[in-house]
Amino acid sequence: MEGKASKELFKDVMDTGLCTLCGGCTDGCPYLVFYNGRIVRLHQCTLSEGQCYQYCPRTYTDLNAISQQVFGVPYEESEIGIVREIFLARSLDAEIQEKGQDGGTVTTLLSVALAEGIIDGVVETKMDDDKIPHGFIARKRKELLACAGVSYEPSPVLEALNRLSKDSTEKVGIVGLPCHVACVSKMKTYPPENRVNIGNMKLVIGLFCGWTLAHGFHQFLQERFDLSQAIKFDIPHHPAHTFDVYTKSDKRSVELDEIKQYINKACTYCLDMTAEFADISVGSGRAMFRGWNTVIVRTKVGTELMEIAKANHALETQPIPIESIENLRHAALNKKKKTLNHIIAKTGDIEDLLYLGLSRHLADKLLGMRN
Amino acid sequence: MADIEIDAPETNRLLLGNEAIARGALEAGIGFATAYPGTPSSEIMGSLAPIAKKMGIYAEWSVNEMVAFEAAAAASLANIRSISSMKANGVNVISDFLINLQMTGIGKGLVLVVCDDPGGMASSNEQDTRPIAKWLNIPLLEPSTAQECKDMTKWAFDLSEELGMVCMVRSVIYLSHTRGNVRLDKLPKKKKEAYFADIYDLDNPRQSKFTCGMQFHSYKQSEELLKKFSKASEKCESSPFNCYRGPDKAKLLIITSGICWTYSIEAVKILNLQDKVGILKLGVTWPLPEEFIRKYLERSQKILFVEEIAPFVERSVMEFVANLPPDRSRPALYGKRSGHVRAWGEQSLDLVIQSIASVMGILYQSRQSRSAEYSQKVREISQTLPNRPLTFCPGCPHRASFWAIKNTLQLDGRNGFVTGDIGCTAMGMISPGSFQVRTYYAMGGGVGIASGFGHLGQFGFTQPVIAVCGDSTFFHASIPGLINGIWNQSNFILAILDNDATAMTGFQPHPGTGVKATGELGEKVSIEALCRSLGVNVEVCDPFDIKKTTATLLKIMAGVGGTQVVIMRRECELVRARRDRKKSYQMYVEPNRCIGEACGCNRLCTRIFSCPGLVWDREVGKAKIDDAVCAGCGLCADICPQGAIIREAA
Repeated sequence: MEGKASKELFKDVMDTGLCTLCGGCTDGCPYLVFYNGRIVRLHQCTLSEGQCYQYCPRTYTDLNAISQQVFGVPYEESEIGIVREIFLARSLDAEIQEKGQDGGTVTTLLSVALAEGIIDGVVETKMDDDKIPHGFIARKRKELLACAGVSYEPSPVLEALNRLSKDSTEKVGIVGLPCHVACVSKMKTYPPENRVNIGNMKLVIGLFCGWTLAHGFHQFLQERFDLSQAIKFDIPHHPAHTFDVYTKSDKRSVELDEIKQYINKACTYCLDMTAEFADISVGSGRAMFRGWNTVIVRTKVGTELMEIAKANHALETQPIPIESIENLRHAALNKKKKTLNHIIAKTGDIEDLLYLGLSRHLADKLLGMRN
Repeated sequence: MADIEIDAPETNRLLLGNEAIARGALEAGIGFATAYPGTPSSEIMGSLAPIAKKMGIYAEWSVNEMVAFEAAAAASLANIRSISSMKANGVNVISDFLINLQMTGIGKGLVLVVCDDPGGMASSNEQDTRPIAKWLNIPLLEPSTAQECKDMTKWAFDLSEELGMVCMVRSVIYLSHTRGNVRLDKLPKKKKEAYFADIYDLDNPRQSKFTCGMQFHSYKQSEELLKKFSKASEKCESSPFNCYRGPDKAKLLIITSGICWTYSIEAVKILNLQDKVGILKLGVTWPLPEEFIRKYLERSQKILFVEEIAPFVERSVMEFVANLPPDRSRPALYGKRSGHVRAWGEQSLDLVIQSIASVMGILYQSRQSRSAEYSQKVREISQTLPNRPLTFCPGCPHRASFWAIKNTLQLDGRNGFVTGDIGCTAMGMISPGSFQVRTYYAMGGGVGIASGFGHLGQFGFTQPVIAVCGDSTFFHASIPGLINGIWNQSNFILAILDNDATAMTGFQPHPGTGVKATGELGEKVSIEALCRSLGVNVEVCDPFDIKKTTATLLKIMAGVGGTQVVIMRRECELVRARRDRKKSYQMYVEPNRCIGEACGCNRLCTRIFSCPGLVWDREVGKAKIDDAVCAGCGLCADICPQGAIIREAA
């Protein structure tokens, strides 16, 4: 691990446009906080080595070491990471169906994990009344339901994790984007001191992600919608081409082209579309299976939870067609190639992949894979 | 406080220079005294106010120096001797009124006492106020000892009355704050009656002589003033406060005034030059007692000027020498212009010795510097002395206010900044206030300058501006700046850090406290009611609720803009502690929770928050409470990220 702290974090990550605003560096100490779409340095920290730098998903990330820690196997070239099972799922819970984004699978799995005592709380994104996402820990089903739904803005969900006392014995799960999952995986690989006991992290659910909308997007929404009335945001899959804002009574849309300018540039440095280090990764069923989720189970923990959820009749599943898997692989590989090419174009050196701890050999392999 | 009102003529009292000035005023039979607090002048009113009632005097802490001096002038116009005292900067504030008052002249004796702060240890600057006397033709007296503080103040009233103009007594911090033996004179018993005589007369309608310009024409009043002032020269020539000590023919003549006279005497003695060096002390430094000086000029070929701060006497004498008839020989002049005397800061015995030695061509080494052993010891001891940087007191609400302001500006992220003002809040420009104050000039300057920054939007200026002032400073000079901002629709936040005291200068009351100088209750002026009456939005918050205060500031900053007022109100901890005589909380650090320098804290409490009540225990690597210093305010418990600082009911 590198001997750097908050000052260098800003120099190497924020100032170079790599920051995904995941919140991994915030609220673990009094110096860094997330506010209004920015990571803010409140005071001068004089440490030469800081966990803010260490766990940032955009500082050096040894993918092989993490893969060894999470799965016990080396990191290899693949489009969507390690797959134990892949299928379609949706909730059988009426309340969740109503509130969930697609099939409500994530909320259902978490609800089951809470009910079964697998975890005591979920580190989640919760939107406040103005629909600004914050980190939150849901400990009850009711709280969990209040977190259902997707914000397309970056969420500093990890701030809530970092706020947990180091002495806490609470078993927690987390739902996050690939960057959140990467940060948690780094913590698992190199357990933090004086902050959350990462051994208590019992369940990691990752969400598929292409990008988030940042740097002025919230203001863009504020100027067009009464966000206090919004109950759901959605970007329906192709062939639709809109960003939809739902209120209790209606749905209003803006053209996707209009909001593309707000795509966080940091997301173009991301290699991971499917949260490859999660126990379970979940995405939408895409246009073919509206109302369903694509689910990738990656670990034993994931398999066990899925079994319980099915046994409890909380979820129903169906096989996913091969062509849907191929589409997903295609999209994920596309992202990897684009990212690698982007990074190499920036550094001018295939040996220098910025934060990515990826061997030359693997990078070449990924770039050479057929779509 | 010394019993300066004691009626015991021909006895000695050990008095502060400032107390001696107050005593001098009593012996002169004043009926009226005003002041605005300001180090090093505050003890003058501080010793007059408590006895005012008993002595049949009216005494007030005024809202600012200008009002103070105007009020004192009124008493003079109505036949009552009056005194007004202030620090050097106060003279800047009163200058407009003073200039015009000189044009009309006064009634009964009116004495302006100014205490300069050479070195600027307790001021925003170091400023020699004496040039204003020369500029405005005001007789200027400079006492050298506590005795002279009393005697010259008393004499200043006679002089003022005789000349029909204000007289100025100028002290400096060292003199004002040093105790000396003072032989008392009697206190007058005469009854005073106030009446303003220059009223409208039906049979003889005319312009009052206490008005400037118009039919009187300013140039005529100038002519009149010069005529009156020429009488001052005669008076000052014969003043007993001018004196010479030394041989008939001296190798060197020192011309000095004020406290520097005492340094000069001692320096000559230490150098053992009594038979070679003469010392000419000027008690009156303006108008220059030319005839008196002329007598001594002939006694030496070399003249050295020793004075604080500016080369004031030096330049005046230089002008005088330049005017000598052509056949007269001219002495060589040494002082600040020649580089033989340090041209800034306080003088001291050591400095004056060095100055004399350099002019006399003597190599002087102090006894201390001659002894290697002594020097070594000094070095050793000085290394063991703890570093004592300026800081907010333990429990000070301003530390919390600046913490909230800093957080707000960082969170806001538009490179906002603070324009500061005089008083305890000025500490915001150094580390206890996290260097948040980025401009700092004069009383009321913070809000004035903010009202200007707030109009730069048309040039692309988007930085939020927070003007910070204390409560006393608000009343003193911030109100016009606020009104200017409101009227001209500027964009800034005025944060009034209201600690219910003029704390920096010693807890003098002000209009917001509702207590008068004499301790009686007056009318309390509400800051928020005043601001709201101006049509401005006012938020009031407790700075100890850091979260809420920060949220309030952020909300205002992100809001509609314009001029906004936030009152951060919490009583000065020293005032509270004096009254309650107990701590609010008993504080301690739970060592197992404190992670010290480790990542996750890095000594936030002792390194950034830096309350003197918190100390870093280097040996165990934990913070701890210094119980003797801790005020028990409890704020640090909210700062600690680990919950290691515990607040318990005291």
